[in-house]
Amino acid sequence: MNLLTALARFLIFPGLLFAVPAAWLVLWLERKTVALLQQRIGPPFGQPFFDFVKLLGKSTPPRAGVNGTLMRAWPLIAVSASLGAVGLLPVLPSRGGFQGDLILLLALMELPAICLIIAGFSSRSLFGEIGSAREAVLLISYNLVFLMAVVSIAVSQHSFRLESLATAPITAWRYLGLVAILVCLPAKLHVNPFSLPNAEQEIYSGPMTEYAGFELALWQLSHGLEWIAGVGLVATLAVPPSAYAWIDVISVLFLGFMLVLVVSLIAAATARLAIDTTVRFYWQCTLVFAVAAISSALLMRLRS
Amino acid sequence: MKILSLLWNNLRRGVATLRYPAAPPMTSGYRGLVRFDPTLCTGCAVCRFRCTARAITFKAAGKEFTWAYNPAQCTFCGRCVDGCKDHALSQDPNSPPSYVTAGSLSTSYTVKRKTPPPKSPPAPAGTSTQTGDTHESRQ
Repeated sequence: MNLLTALARFLIFPGLLFAVPAAWLVLWLERKTVALLQQRIGPPFGQPFFDFVKLLGKSTPPRAGVNGTLMRAWPLIAVSASLGAVGLLPVLPSRGGFQGDLILLLALMELPAICLIIAGFSSRSLFGEIGSAREAVLLISYNLVFLMAVVSIAVSQHSFRLESLATAPITAWRYLGLVAILVCLPAKLHVNPFSLPNAEQEIYSGPMTEYAGFELALWQLSHGLEWIAGVGLVATLAVPPSAYAWIDVISVLFLGFMLVLVVSLIAAATARLAIDTTVRFYWQCTLVFAVAAISSALLMRLRS
Repeated sequence: MKILSLLWNNLRRGVATLRYPAAPPMTSGYRGLVRFDPTLCTGCAVCRFRCTARAITFKAAGKEFTWAYNPAQCTFCGRCVDGCKDHALSQDPNSPPSYVTAGSLSTSYTVKRKTPPPKSPPAPAGTSTQTGDTHESRQ
């Protein structure tokens, strides 16, 4: 990937210029879907964008005993990492990529969650600390399944390069891996039934309780970009490659749209689980998936 | 799976909420903002004493008094309306409007005290008392 391609991917498509409006659109779509399923009218189109602009105009109240620079740094790092992750997505598979970019993508997708945990603890708020502790436990639980799913897909295709994964013919093992990633998506995106870190009826906004104004706007944008990165990863790996790039792009966008609807449906249909139930659920998933993934990797190695 | 059929039915029935500023019809006897009629008030200040939320303030100054109401402090309990013997207070049957400036719904009235009616001379013994200048007669 040369410098010009890299810049185009990070700044134009699927990066900054595309991802930021898409993040607001996805946030609106999720809220609107849940509202319609609950017989509510829901937010008007573009509400997350208006919220963002409104929050930009609000000042942050002084927080005693809190390092303001650090508090400002975490949402900035989270947004940058999410944007980087979105920029790496192989929506146009033949337009770049490098060996090992899958590992970088995974690292960038984990950064916002880690920033959120640290932000909650730095805010010196009781609700923030509880939310961060929950997020940390959740992160350890679902990441076992998530990482194993991604690694099994990579091992089955003998590559850690996103471009070659996206262009390779899709096998049954990949679908198994994608289903496992889909199981992790609600936890990664903090939606029901795994909305433990930001359980508003229990701990207000969890790690974001002490955030306001510009910083809160960045957190919301980062959350939207996490949606794009998570849903985009599944969509790019699930869509079979075609002869034309525009067909690939439309297929990825359509599948991404459908995935947002499915995750929103799950959010509307379920109630929040307790932390121990969530951890148990993911560890049980891990056990089943670990056996399946390791067997598939061994089989592939034996065959090749 | 029952939840899925429930959600499907919700989707099929359509939305039940309204977009602002549309609002559902109010129930009868809804207790909204307190309205004040200065022409009926005699300045007894019972409403001030009955207002536990301190939303009503009353200042008497010579021949006039100032009655003020701050809806931001009001709990809409209706005790002031119940206690007003002059029926100068009532409650709006609609929900309070949204406002963006603090205190924009507050109201204040400076009312001149009504001159008390001249005392009628004591009636001679054996005749009936005629007090035609009561609250009811003023109304």
